[in-house]
Amino acid sequence: MTETTSDSLFMRCGDSKRDIQNALRAAGAILAWAICFAGSSQLLKREMVPEGAMQLVVAAIPSLFGIFVLIAYGRLLRESDELQRLVQLQALAIAFGGTFLAVSTYAILERLGAPRADLADAITVMAVLYAVGSVIGWRRFS
Amino acid sequence: MKNRLKVLRAERDWTQARLAAGLDVSRQTVNAIETGKYDPSLPLAFKIARLFEQPIEAIFFDGAAEEPAP
Repeated sequence: MTETTSDSLFMRCGDSKRDIQNALRAAGAILAWAICFAGSSQLLKREMVPEGAMQLVVAAIPSLFGIFVLIAYGRLLRESDELQRLVQLQALAIAFGGTFLAVSTYAILERLGAPRADLADAITVMAVLYAVGSVIGWRRFS
Repeated sequence: MKNRLKVLRAERDWTQARLAAGLDVSRQTVNAIETGKYDPSLPLAFKIARLFEQPIEAIFFDGAAEEPAP
Protein backbone atom coordinates (compact mmCIF):
# COMPACT_ATOMS: atom_id res chain seq x y z
CA MET A 1 0.00 0.00 0.00
CA THR A 2 2.99 2.27 -0.29
CA GLU A 3 2.66 4.77 -3.11
CA THR A 4 5.55 5.96 -5.18
CA THR A 5 7.11 9.30 -4.31
CA SER A 6 7.95 10.09 -7.90
CA ASP A 7 4.97 12.40 -8.44
CA SER A 8 5.39 15.52 -10.49
CA LEU A 9 6.48 18.67 -8.71
CA PHE A 10 3.00 20.08 -9.19
CA MET A 11 1.39 17.15 -7.42
CA ARG A 12 3.80 17.54 -4.54
CA CYS A 13 2.08 20.84 -3.76
CA GLY A 14 -0.82 18.72 -2.50
CA ASP A 15 -2.96 16.11 -4.18
CA SER A 16 -6.49 16.77 -3.01
CA LYS A 17 -8.99 18.46 -5.32
CA ARG A 18 -8.87 21.52 -3.07
CA ASP A 19 -5.05 21.69 -3.18
CA ILE A 20 -5.00 21.41 -6.96
CA GLN A 21 -7.70 24.08 -7.33
CA ASN A 22 -5.81 26.43 -5.00
CA ALA A 23 -2.52 25.82 -6.82
CA LEU A 24 -4.17 26.42 -10.21
CA ARG A 25 -5.86 29.57 -8.93
CA ALA A 26 -2.58 30.96 -7.57
CA ALA A 27 -0.64 29.97 -10.70
CA GLY A 28 -3.30 31.54 -12.92
CA ALA A 29 -3.24 34.77 -10.93
CA ILE A 30 0.58 34.89 -11.06
CA LEU A 31 0.55 34.26 -14.82
CA ALA A 32 -2.07 36.98 -15.36
CA TRP A 33 -0.03 39.40 -13.25
CA ALA A 34 3.20 38.56 -15.12
CA ILE A 35 1.55 39.07 -18.54
CA CYS A 36 -0.05 42.30 -17.37
CA PHE A 37 3.19 43.54 -15.80
CA ALA A 38 5.18 42.81 -18.96
CA GLY A 39 2.47 44.33 -21.16
CA SER A 40 2.16 47.52 -19.12
CA SER A 41 5.94 47.90 -18.94
CA GLN A 42 6.30 47.54 -22.71
CA LEU A 43 3.41 49.90 -23.47
CA LEU A 44 4.86 52.61 -21.23
CA LYS A 45 8.45 51.99 -22.34
CA ARG A 46 7.54 52.31 -26.03
CA GLU A 47 5.41 55.37 -25.28
CA MET A 48 2.36 53.75 -26.81
CA VAL A 49 0.03 55.23 -24.19
CA PRO A 50 -1.07 58.86 -24.45
CA GLU A 51 0.30 61.06 -21.69
CA GLY A 52 -1.89 61.85 -18.72
CA ALA A 53 -4.35 59.81 -16.71
CA MET A 54 -4.26 56.91 -19.18
CA GLN A 55 -0.60 56.26 -18.32
CA LEU A 56 -1.50 56.04 -14.63
CA VAL A 57 -4.29 53.58 -15.41
CA VAL A 58 -1.94 51.36 -17.46
CA ALA A 59 0.67 51.56 -14.69
CA ALA A 60 -1.90 50.62 -12.04
CA ILE A 61 -3.46 47.61 -13.81
CA PRO A 62 -0.67 45.16 -12.77
CA SER A 63 -1.30 46.15 -9.14
CA LEU A 64 -4.90 45.02 -9.48
CA PHE A 65 -3.71 41.61 -10.65
CA GLY A 66 -1.13 41.70 -7.85
CA ILE A 67 -4.00 41.93 -5.36
CA PHE A 68 -5.59 38.85 -6.98
CA VAL A 69 -2.23 37.04 -6.55
CA LEU A 70 -2.14 37.95 -2.84
CA ILE A 71 -5.73 36.76 -2.33
CA ALA A 72 -5.13 33.48 -4.20
CA TYR A 73 -1.82 32.83 -2.42
CA GLY A 74 -3.36 33.69 0.96
CA ARG A 75 -6.13 31.17 0.33
CA LEU A 76 -3.59 28.55 -0.76
CA LEU A 77 -1.69 29.04 2.51
CA ARG A 78 -4.84 29.02 4.66
CA GLU A 79 -6.10 25.79 3.16
CA SER A 80 -2.73 24.01 3.03
CA ASP A 81 -1.75 21.44 5.62
CA GLU A 82 1.09 22.04 8.08
CA LEU A 83 3.86 20.47 5.96
CA GLN A 84 2.82 22.45 2.88
CA ARG A 85 2.88 25.63 4.98
CA LEU A 86 6.35 24.78 6.26
CA VAL A 87 7.63 24.30 2.70
CA GLN A 88 6.02 27.58 1.63
CA LEU A 89 7.54 29.39 4.61
CA GLN A 90 11.01 28.05 3.79
CA ALA A 91 10.61 28.99 0.11
CA LEU A 92 9.53 32.51 1.06
CA ALA A 93 12.44 32.81 3.51
CA ILE A 94 14.93 31.73 0.83
CA ALA A 95 13.34 34.13 -1.69
CA PHE A 96 13.27 37.10 0.68
CA GLY A 97 16.69 36.45 2.23
CA GLY A 98 18.36 35.72 -1.10
CA THR A 99 16.85 38.79 -2.78
CA PHE A 100 17.86 41.01 0.14
CA LEU A 101 21.40 39.67 -0.11
CA ALA A 102 21.52 40.05 -3.90
CA VAL A 103 20.08 43.59 -3.91
CA SER A 104 22.30 44.84 -1.10
CA THR A 105 25.41 43.30 -2.69
CA TYR A 106 24.57 44.70 -6.11
CA ALA A 107 23.97 48.17 -4.61
CA ILE A 108 27.62 48.17 -3.54
CA LEU A 109 28.74 46.86 -6.94
CA GLU A 110 26.81 49.70 -8.63
CA ARG A 111 28.98 52.16 -6.72
CA LEU A 112 31.99 50.39 -8.17
CA GLY A 113 30.70 50.91 -11.70
CA ALA A 114 28.39 47.96 -12.36
CA PRO A 115 25.48 48.74 -14.72
CA ARG A 116 22.41 50.10 -13.00
CA ALA A 117 19.91 47.34 -12.16
CA ASP A 118 16.16 47.59 -12.66
CA LEU A 119 13.63 46.82 -9.92
CA ALA A 120 12.20 44.15 -12.26
CA ASP A 121 15.54 42.31 -11.95
CA ALA A 122 15.00 42.02 -8.19
CA ILE A 123 11.49 40.64 -8.81
CA THR A 124 12.95 38.05 -11.19
CA VAL A 125 15.60 37.04 -8.63
CA MET A 126 12.89 36.70 -5.99
CA ALA A 127 10.68 34.55 -8.25
CA VAL A 128 13.57 32.26 -9.20
CA LEU A 129 14.66 31.88 -5.56
CA TYR A 130 11.08 31.11 -4.53
CA ALA A 131 10.88 28.36 -7.16
CA VAL A 132 14.26 26.97 -6.06
CA GLY A 133 13.18 27.11 -2.40
CA SER A 134 9.97 25.21 -3.21
CA VAL A 135 11.87 22.48 -5.04
CA ILE A 136 14.39 22.16 -2.18
CA GLY A 137 11.53 21.95 0.33
CA TRP A 138 9.64 19.21 -1.48
CA ARG A 139 12.79 17.22 -2.20
CA ARG A 140 13.64 17.40 1.48
CA PHE A 141 10.31 15.96 2.60
CA SER A 142 9.61 13.46 -0.19
CA MET B 1 11.06 10.75 16.40
CA LYS B 2 9.95 7.38 15.02
CA ASN B 3 6.43 6.13 14.47
CA ARG B 4 4.33 3.06 13.64
CA LEU B 5 2.12 4.84 11.17
CA LYS B 6 3.02 2.64 8.23
CA VAL B 7 2.40 -0.54 10.23
CA LEU B 8 -0.93 0.69 11.58
CA ARG B 9 -2.00 1.78 8.13
CA ALA B 10 -1.02 -1.56 6.61
CA GLU B 11 -2.96 -3.42 9.33
CA ARG B 12 -6.09 -1.59 8.21
CA ASP B 13 -5.23 -2.00 4.55
CA TRP B 14 -5.45 1.75 4.03
CA THR B 15 -3.63 3.61 1.30
CA GLN B 16 -1.68 6.77 2.09
CA ALA B 17 -4.37 8.70 0.20
CA ARG B 18 -7.12 7.16 2.38
CA LEU B 19 -5.23 8.05 5.55
CA ALA B 20 -4.49 11.54 4.23
CA ALA B 21 -8.20 12.09 3.55
CA GLY B 22 -9.04 10.97 7.09
CA LEU B 23 -6.52 13.39 8.54
CA ASP B 24 -7.31 16.24 6.11
CA VAL B 25 -3.68 16.50 5.01
CA SER B 26 -1.95 15.80 1.70
CA ARG B 27 -0.63 12.33 0.84
CA GLN B 28 2.85 13.83 0.73
CA THR B 29 2.49 14.79 4.39
CA VAL B 30 1.50 11.23 5.33
CA ASN B 31 4.46 9.90 3.35
CA ALA B 32 6.85 12.38 5.02
CA ILE B 33 5.62 11.36 8.49
CA GLU B 34 5.87 7.64 7.70
CA THR B 35 9.42 7.96 6.41
CA GLY B 36 10.41 10.03 9.46
CA LYS B 37 11.27 13.09 7.39
CA TYR B 38 8.68 15.21 9.11
CA ASP B 39 7.45 15.20 12.70
CA PRO B 40 3.78 16.18 12.92
CA SER B 41 2.54 18.94 15.19
CA LEU B 42 0.89 17.90 18.46
CA PRO B 43 -2.65 18.59 17.15
CA LEU B 44 -1.98 16.40 14.08
CA ALA B 45 -0.42 13.68 16.27
CA PHE B 46 -3.58 13.69 18.41
CA LYS B 47 -5.70 13.47 15.28
CA ILE B 48 -3.68 10.46 14.11
CA ALA B 49 -4.06 8.83 17.52
CA ARG B 50 -7.82 9.38 17.46
CA LEU B 51 -8.12 7.97 13.96
CA PHE B 52 -6.25 4.79 14.92
CA GLU B 53 -7.94 4.72 18.37
CA GLN B 54 -4.61 4.38 20.11
CA PRO B 55 -2.70 6.54 22.59
CA ILE B 56 -0.09 8.83 21.03
CA GLU B 57 2.77 7.01 22.76
CA ALA B 58 1.70 3.77 21.05
CA ILE B 59 2.21 5.42 17.67
CA PHE B 60 5.06 7.90 18.17
CA PHE B 61 8.17 7.18 20.18
CA ASP B 62 11.65 8.53 20.75
CA GLY B 63 14.15 7.22 18.20
CA ALA B 64 16.51 6.10 20.98
CA ALA B 65 13.75 4.22 22.83
CA GLU B 66 12.44 0.78 22.00
CA GLU B 67 9.42 0.50 19.75
CA PRO B 68 6.25 0.06 21.83
CA ALA B 69 4.49 -3.28 21.66
CA PRO B 70 1.46 -3.24 19.34
